[in-house]
Amino acid sequence: MTKVLIMNKNTEQGVLEFLKFLLENKKVKGVFSLKKIDKKGAVAYSLITNPKDLEDAVPFYPLMPVNAGNLLSRFTLNGPPKEPIAAVVKPCELRGFIELIKREQGSLENLLIISSTCGGVYPTKLEIDGTVEKNLSKYWDAVKKGQILNDIRPACKSCEEFTPYVTDITVDILGKNDLDKQCIMFLNTKKGEEIVKSIKADFSDNKIDGSKLDNIREKRGIEKKKLFEEIEKKMNGIDGLIQIFGKCISCHGCSKVCPICYCILCEFESSDSEYGPSNYETELRKRPGLRVPPGTLYYHLGRLTHMGISCVACGACDDVCPVDIPVSMIFKKVGESVQKMFDYIPGKNIEEEIPLITYKKDEFTEFEG
Amino acid sequence: MKKDEEFMPKILAFLCNWCSYAGADLAGTSRLKYPPSILPIRVMCSSRVDPIFVIRAYLSGIDGVIVAGCHPGDCHYQEGNYYTRRRFAMLKKVFEETGLEKDRLLLSWVSASEGQKYAKVATEFTGKIKGLGENSTKNKVFL
Amino acid sequence: MSKFKGAVITAKSGTEKTIIDMLEKTIDKGVFDAIIIPMRVPAGDSFAYVLIKDKSLLNDASVLPPTMFVQGAKAVSSVTRLGKGKTKIAAVMRPCEVRATIELAKLGQVDLENMTIISMDCPGVLPSSDFLKDPEKNIKLFNEAAKKLDDTIMRPVCQICNKSSMVSGDIHIGTLGAKKDAFFFISNSEKGEKVANKLGINLKDNIDSWQTKVKTISEEKHEKRKKAHKELKTKVGGIDNLVETFSHCINCHNCMRVCPVCICRLCYFDSDKVKHPADDYLERTESKGSMRFLPDTTLFQMGRMMHMSISCVSCGACEDACSMSIPVAQIFSMIADETQALFDYVSGRRLDESIPIVAYKEEELHEVEDAND
Repeated sequence: MTKVLIMNKNTEQGVLEFLKFLLENKKVKGVFSLKKIDKKGAVAYSLITNPKDLEDAVPFYPLMPVNAGNLLSRFTLNGPPKEPIAAVVKPCELRGFIELIKREQGSLENLLIISSTCGGVYPTKLEIDGTVEKNLSKYWDAVKKGQILNDIRPACKSCEEFTPYVTDITVDILGKNDLDKQCIMFLNTKKGEEIVKSIKADFSDNKIDGSKLDNIREKRGIEKKKLFEEIEKKMNGIDGLIQIFGKCISCHGCSKVCPICYCILCEFESSDSEYGPSNYETELRKRPGLRVPPGTLYYHLGRLTHMGISCVACGACDDVCPVDIPVSMIFKKVGESVQKMFDYIPGKNIEEEIPLITYKKDEFTEFEG
Repeated sequence: MKKDEEFMPKILAFLCNWCSYAGADLAGTSRLKYPPSILPIRVMCSSRVDPIFVIRAYLSGIDGVIVAGCHPGDCHYQEGNYYTRRRFAMLKKVFEETGLEKDRLLLSWVSASEGQKYAKVATEFTGKIKGLGENSTKNKVFL
Repeated sequence: MSKFKGAVITAKSGTEKTIIDMLEKTIDKGVFDAIIIPMRVPAGDSFAYVLIKDKSLLNDASVLPPTMFVQGAKAVSSVTRLGKGKTKIAAVMRPCEVRATIELAKLGQVDLENMTIISMDCPGVLPSSDFLKDPEKNIKLFNEAAKKLDDTIMRPVCQICNKSSMVSGDIHIGTLGAKKDAFFFISNSEKGEKVANKLGINLKDNIDSWQTKVKTISEEKHEKRKKAHKELKTKVGGIDNLVETFSHCINCHNCMRVCPVCICRLCYFDSDKVKHPADDYLERTESKGSMRFLPDTTLFQMGRMMHMSISCVSCGACEDACSMSIPVAQIFSMIADETQALFDYVSGRRLDESIPIVAYKEEELHEVEDAND
């Protein structure tokens, strides 16, 4: 049972009122949320310190221009803020942030984390031509019913981890029929309970509707199976990989937007991975020719082994790819299978060590030759 | 395609300095016979082996890769080989998921006194690789 | 222009086939050990540069592919950045890719000693996102458009490119102004002449018709370019318009990474210098009430512009790679024209021309100094 805050108004309005309450009563110094940043309605994450600016905040807008895990990491990289900040982020962004914290790339200190059950986001290219804005009511209709929309990110369609972990407050959104009339916020931690004292709202004790969410999880699982089957057909050995990554231009955008890929100098951009004249002479003795710049498959397979263990399957890589390679499905499929080996869900438990930096004395003996 | 009898595989073996490299050395000084397929690379500990070393070798056309270290519990650096085992398990899983030939990878524990084991592992693995044939990445252009 | 030496080559089996045959001959005769040239990828949905040793691969090569997925200079740089080696290489690229290669040579990123550069008259290149919609169909569309010199389906920067026949390499294939079933083999250097010699090509023909046609087209394009830039300036000029133009930018830095002349292994805008403590960000936010996070998107764009404008070759790779469809190439190319014109410089035009910001005259540019100094 968790303490629950109830407001009898539209969920987003309720949350905005709550954020306003926090700013006006100096419970937090700032708010981190999605916001309409210009007259044309471009949406981006923003820091907000003036309560009046909350008018343009759209905390649950179905868009993820950047994985907020990256942003929270950058915000706290050189230490936590002196005063509390409230941050509204999506579950996979939060999981990405937790994985980054495990790698000493940020901290939860002085952050009030607010998240929600998530209906998914649209690919960023649909924001540019205004499609997202036009489809908003259709989106919220589907979210209320717990249905999977056709044109959201494939990573979202197949996401079974749509309930956030490690939050101070979870907003009930997915599958909630009366989203327009009622705002329900689950106060999961002492911090969450403390901070809402003196707000004008009702309180009760409740727990999140497990069966409703299980139902949705099942539907997403079916979608995942379908998408995994498609990608499995393509990933059939070296020739399959050559087909999938044939159009890759080695821009490394996928790595740059990935919350887990935090290395300042990536191995695959370092001099270690550069080919010199003797490398080319060796290669040309073996093969009739070599694609240049070299190392496309090396980069992708290498990245799978380096970050697959922590992939939160947010889908940011898909959106940034200039040649539409289904990176997120590939990394989700391989990532999940690696994570399953260790019963690991990235970003779920901040105390749980990344499986590759820990061990048991007796395990995986089946892999020994 | 070379015939099996003519095909001498190229197998990269990452051998840890304190155990498996010494074991390989012992095989040599004991004049134990094993196929000339092994290209040894000495590392201080098997946990030095980054999966990307294996991937790079595999994509460059190497027919097989062995990662050899001390027996679990005997690592010169106490814990290294435990990490190696996890990392290797993960690497094999990645190969499996992407359809690459995971059977071309082998993890083996060879101690400094196990010259015979080294020769046995080398011989058996070479035979296995011969059965798999040449690694087709050898002549791919669009890697 | 008078330093060119040319020959008319009859191409009964088509220009591309004839050039491929010539390249095969150069491998046979040991003129080149390897050739860097685009090839269609096995899946058929793209073209990639391949360092070809076995001449049989040339059968699937394309001299003028419909797309420029990777900027050729990047491909060449990946082969010779660490030195020249013993391999004699020819690289077949579009003029803007050649210019980027020459510029990279000045930046120590390409070793030209064992490299012979071959270019051709360029009709433009398709945006890769358009190409990907239907690769098979778009190859045909591109070839037809190229024949008719119709640039309406090409990249926006290609449509206003007035350097599509600029020769900065060693050999240039001139298709403009040539008779039917023929093209000009134009040599621009000793290396070019040597190749012609080995191929039995006599560089004694008149190439006036090529030069005239090139001049006409580049003058037309120059006018079109001036007009387009004027319109663009009103659209993006001024701080408000600039901020709005880049409002969708997510700082993925794809533009920077695909740019041939952005060579820094660790870009300033990825370094510690732009990573500030939380309270600094909050202080900045307080002065405005709210602030986009991460901030400084416009700073990145303008900063990158400052850093590379003098070397920009207006290839358009950045715009193709932009994940948010921002017209980066059009803007950067417009500014590059002006910054380079300040010094009468054209990026990559000639190898013996220093990049202006690493050279100086003791007396110059007094007009930018305070009048009283």
